Amino acid sequence: MLLTPNAMSPGLRFGLYLTTALIALFLILPIVFIVLLSFGSSQWLVFPPPGWTLKWYQQFFSNPEWMAAAFASLKVAVLTTICAVALGLPTAFALVRGRFPGRDLLYGIFTLPMIVPLVIIAVAVYALFLKLGYTGTLFSFVVSHVIVALPFTIISIINSLKLFDQSIEDAAVICGASRLQAIVKVTFPGIRPGMVAGALFAFLVSWDEVVLSVMMASPNLQTLPVKMWTTLRQDLTPVIAVASTLLIGLSVMVMVIAATLRRRNEARSTS
Amino acid sequence: MSAVIKEAGQQDQKTLVSLCNLNKHYGDFAAVDNISLDIQDGEFLTFLGSSGSGKSTTLSMLAGFETPSSGEILVSGKSLINVPPHKRDIGMVFQRYSLFPHLSVRDNIAFPLAIRKMPSAEREKRVDAMLKLVQLEQFAHRRPSQLSGGQQQRVAIARALVYEPRILLMDEPLGALDKKLREELQDELRQLHRRLGITIVYVTHDQEEAMRLSQRIAIFSHGKIVGLGTGYDLYQNPPNAFVASFLGNSNFLKLKAQSNAAATFEGQPLSIRLTASLQAGQDVLLMIRPEKAQALSLEQAASEPLLSGWNEVTASVTEVLFLGESQTCSVVTDSGTAMTVKALSATGMPMKPGDKVRVRWAAGDACVYTEWAESDLNKVAGAH
Repeated sequence: MLLTPNAMSPGLRFGLYLTTALIALFLILPIVFIVLLSFGSSQWLVFPPPGWTLKWYQQFFSNPEWMAAAFASLKVAVLTTICAVALGLPTAFALVRGRFPGRDLLYGIFTLPMIVPLVIIAVAVYALFLKLGYTGTLFSFVVSHVIVALPFTIISIINSLKLFDQSIEDAAVICGASRLQAIVKVTFPGIRPGMVAGALFAFLVSWDEVVLSVMMASPNLQTLPVKMWTTLRQDLTPVIAVASTLLIGLSVMVMVIAATLRRRNEARSTS
Repeated sequence: MSAVIKEAGQQDQKTLVSLCNLNKHYGDFAAVDNISLDIQDGEFLTFLGSSGSGKSTTLSMLAGFETPSSGEILVSGKSLINVPPHKRDIGMVFQRYSLFPHLSVRDNIAFPLAIRKMPSAEREKRVDAMLKLVQLEQFAHRRPSQLSGGQQQRVAIARALVYEPRILLMDEPLGALDKKLREELQDELRQLHRRLGITIVYVTHDQEEAMRLSQRIAIFSHGKIVGLGTGYDLYQNPPNAFVASFLGNSNFLKLKAQSNAAATFEGQPLSIRLTASLQAGQDVLLMIRPEKAQALSLEQAASEPLLSGWNEVTASVTEVLFLGESQTCSVVTDSGTAMTVKALSATGMPMKPGDKVRVRWAAGDACVYTEWAESDLNKVAGAH
C-alpha cells in the first residue's frame, strides 16, 4: 500500500514521476531524433536541423537500391511470418496437448534461439549455407529469420491455446465434427488472438533483423537494415535516417494493429 | 454378463446401453474399476459421487473421449469401443457450457446440423424448434458471452438435442449456477426428459440434484458403483454403510448380534430387522435415519408405552438446533455413542442440553450391516 501513488508523500511521488519521465525520455529520444533528422536539411545529420526538407525522402524513393532493399525486407518478413505460423501452430499443439516423454525438453529446444546469442546462430547458419551454396538467397534469409522468429510465435500460440477451454473443442467433436474439423472450425477462431500476435511478432523480428541478415546478404539481395548498415560504413547520409524512420514507422503500425485487435477481442469477450 | 446389476421390476424395459466390466487405469491407479451397468431406454440415470470417484471418467468413456483399458460398451447390442466420438451420435452438455464463442446462439445450435450437411431449409426449421423449446427465440442472434449462465446452458442443451441423439450425457451441467437458478433448470430438465423421452445420463456430486432429477441413481466411490436404484430405495434401504453415510444423514450404532433378530447395544438388548445367518456375538452395524428416530422426555416416555417392535435407549441431550421446517436434537448415550434425532418443527421438541431423553425407533426402520469399513461411516470418506 505504501507504494501506491495516492498513499505516497508528495516528495516521493514527484521523485517517482521524474524518474519515470526520464527513463521514458531516454528510451524514446533516439527515435525522436532520428525521425527529426530525416526531415532536416543538413547533409551531416546536424542537430538541431538548420531547416526542413523532404529531399532525403525523395532520394530514398528514387534510388533503386534502397527500394530493392525495402521490398526485399518486406518479402522476407512476409514469408518468415507465413512459415513461422505454419510451423508454430502444429508445434504449439504438440507441446500443449501432447503427452510424450521429452516434451519439456522439446519446448526448451524450440525456445533456445531466444537465449542463444544471435551471432552464434548467425555464424552457424552462415557456415551451413556456405557449404550448401545457399548464401545470398531468399531461402537462406527466410530460414535464418524463421529460426529466431519461431520461439516468439510458438510461445504466443501456446499461451492462447492453454487459455482455450478444450471442452469447447470436445463439444464440437461430440456434435459430429471430426477432431480436425473441430480444430479448424472452433479452436482456430478461439486462439486467433494468439495466432495473430504470433504472426506479428514473427514479422517484427524479421523486419528489423540485422545480425543474421548481414551474414546472409549478397550484393544482389539485402534487406533494409543490411543496406543501412553497409551505407553507414561509407557515408553518413540522412537517407539512413529516412530508412530508419520507415523501419520504425512500419513497426509502430504493426504494434498499433496488434493492440487494436487485442482491445477489440477483450471488448468482445467481456461484453 | 452375470456381474451386471439387475434392477427388479425393470426387466420389461429395453436396455439401451450396457457397460460390461469397464476399466480405466492410469498407471497403477484404477479410475474406473470393473463397472457393469445396464441403462434402460428412455431413463434418466444419474452418476452420483464425489470428485475422483470415477463418475466423470465413466461418462467420458461413454462419450468416447477416454478409451477404456478393458471392458465393453454396447449400445443396442453394438460395440462403441472403436467408434470415434463424432460418430457415436451422442449429445453432451458440459459443465462450463462450452459454447462456440465466435458463433451466435443460432449458429451454435445449427453447428451439428451444418457438420452433417443438412439442407438449410430443414436446418432452419429444426433450429427454430430448438430455440422455442429452450425459450431463447429472442436471443438467437446474440453471442454466448452476451447471455447469462442459465441461458448459455439452455443453448448448450439445445445444441446437444438438435440432431436428435439417442443418448444425452450431462457432466455437472448446473454446477456453475446459483442455487435458485439451478432448481429452475432442474425442473425444466425433468419436463424436457418427460416430453422427449430421451435417455439421459447425468453426472453430479449434488445428491439433492440427483434425487430431484433421476429415475435411478448410481453411486460411485473409488471407481466402483456401490449403490444402484431409485433415490427412494437408496435412501430408505441403503445397500451398504457407505451409501447410508453418503446419502443424507445417518446414525450408526455398533451392536453384538444375539440371534437373527436380536442384538445388544452397550449391554442392552435390542430387536433388529430379521437378518439371515447372523452368528451370536458377531459385530453388526445398525443404521437409523435421524427422522426415523424419536426423542422423548422422561415424562413423555412414561405416558407413552413402548410399542412392540420398537427399541429404546437412554441418552442425554447435547444440543438442540432449530432449522426452520425441522429441528434436530443431538444426544449422547451413557457409553458415549452420539446420535441425532430430527423432527418437524410442528411436532415440538421441548428439550434442552443436559436433559435425559429416551430415543426410540422401530426395529424395521433400522438397517443392519454385517460388513463395513470404519471409513464408510465418515461422511467425507470417499471424497478424494
